[in-house]
Amino acid sequence: MSCAEFRPLLHDLRRHRLAPELAEALRLHLAGCAECRRAQAAEDVLDNLLSERLPRYAAPPGLRRGLAALADGEPRRERKRTWARFAAPALAAGLAAVTGALLFERHSGRETSTLSALAEEAVSDHLRVLAAQHPLEVESGGSHQVKPWFEGRLDFAPSVPLPDLPDLHLLGGAVGYFLDRKAAVVEYALRRHALTLLVFRADGLAWPSAAAAPEVAASARGFHVVLWRANGLGYALVSDVNPPELAELAARFAAAARP
Amino acid sequence: MDALYNLARYLARNPADADDLVQETYARALRAWHQFTPGTELRAWLLRILRNTWLDRARSDRRRQERSSAEDLPEAEQPVAGEDSWLRGDFELDQMRRLVASEIEEALLSLGEDQRTVILLDLEGLTEAETALVLGCAPGTVKSRLSRARAALREKLSDYRKVEKS
Repeated sequence: MSCAEFRPLLHDLRRHRLAPELAEALRLHLAGCAECRRAQAAEDVLDNLLSERLPRYAAPPGLRRGLAALADGEPRRERKRTWARFAAPALAAGLAAVTGALLFERHSGRETSTLSALAEEAVSDHLRVLAAQHPLEVESGGSHQVKPWFEGRLDFAPSVPLPDLPDLHLLGGAVGYFLDRKAAVVEYALRRHALTLLVFRADGLAWPSAAAAPEVAASARGFHVVLWRANGLGYALVSDVNPPELAELAARFAAAARP
Repeated sequence: MDALYNLARYLARNPADADDLVQETYARALRAWHQFTPGTELRAWLLRILRNTWLDRARSDRRRQERSSAEDLPEAEQPVAGEDSWLRGDFELDQMRRLVASEIEEALLSLGEDQRTVILLDLEGLTEAETALVLGCAPGTVKSRLSRARAALREKLSDYRKVEKS
């Protein structure tokens, strides 16, 4: 086969859609063809851009609530024009099936990829803080000193939560980056563990739909991450404390961050 | 549900119209529920209904057609990427890696509806047979449609870097 015949198959190779013998032939060809390897690199870049950076829009809570209410046979009042047409009881069974199937859809491969990309980024940020000799730009013993420091340094007002826990101490903060956007990096100590809370604008960011409410957890390189969103901001809490404790901590942080 | 809403957002381009599109999709799905074959791919069936709903609306909405007449040209009239789009230099690939979310979204939205949809369906992990069901085309044509769409998107993304450099 020629390069022109192989190249349309590069995407299928990535998606594992080729028969084993054709996949093997393509790999052999790639090993000896620099131009096709370059084409493959271009495919890889495009795949990564699409899977990790293209915003993925989750259905808004209002729409979910409306559809869930319909599954229970309740018409949604505020959208009479559209909804009134299909609230008839005779359709309830079919609606419950459709709505149920959609509300509890399984996570796709892309969801997993999106989650792992966010977790990897959060862990990298955490490691940057741990490795830096002077990681904090503002050091403080209280959130009332750290929060004002971010004013003018970010285009949003981050929460600097400090849950009331005896072993938890706020160390300070700095401005960093989370993927393509600025983030508030807030550092804590819990016993002998370091915790990093990243706060960033969530708009336009590819986000696993399960992370919309209330939170989603992932692990990377021995660290654990809990992600959640609230009031247009994304939060990532990273540490090496065990996952159940981190999940509990994240719930306390989320509660403390609420206005 | 997010797969439906996400496609709706990229077709309708704004949250209010996307909401309406998903609602209308549900309404149509209910009316056609007896046509659904249990055991077949529900997601692809619903995505097909959503896309057809959008196409029906686009046809009947003159204002939308005027606003987006250029971007909704039939696929054959879209610019076709040249062979050189495969052969990016290392520098250019590195520049593409620096693209941010808004640029990628804008580039995708600048494609025609056919190309936008086939890229999003592939991203959702639909098989060629499922994609063919949504698009209403022969499964054998999905590969070439997707290949052309990705080439066109690469061209668009490459243009972003050129504009920024100049």
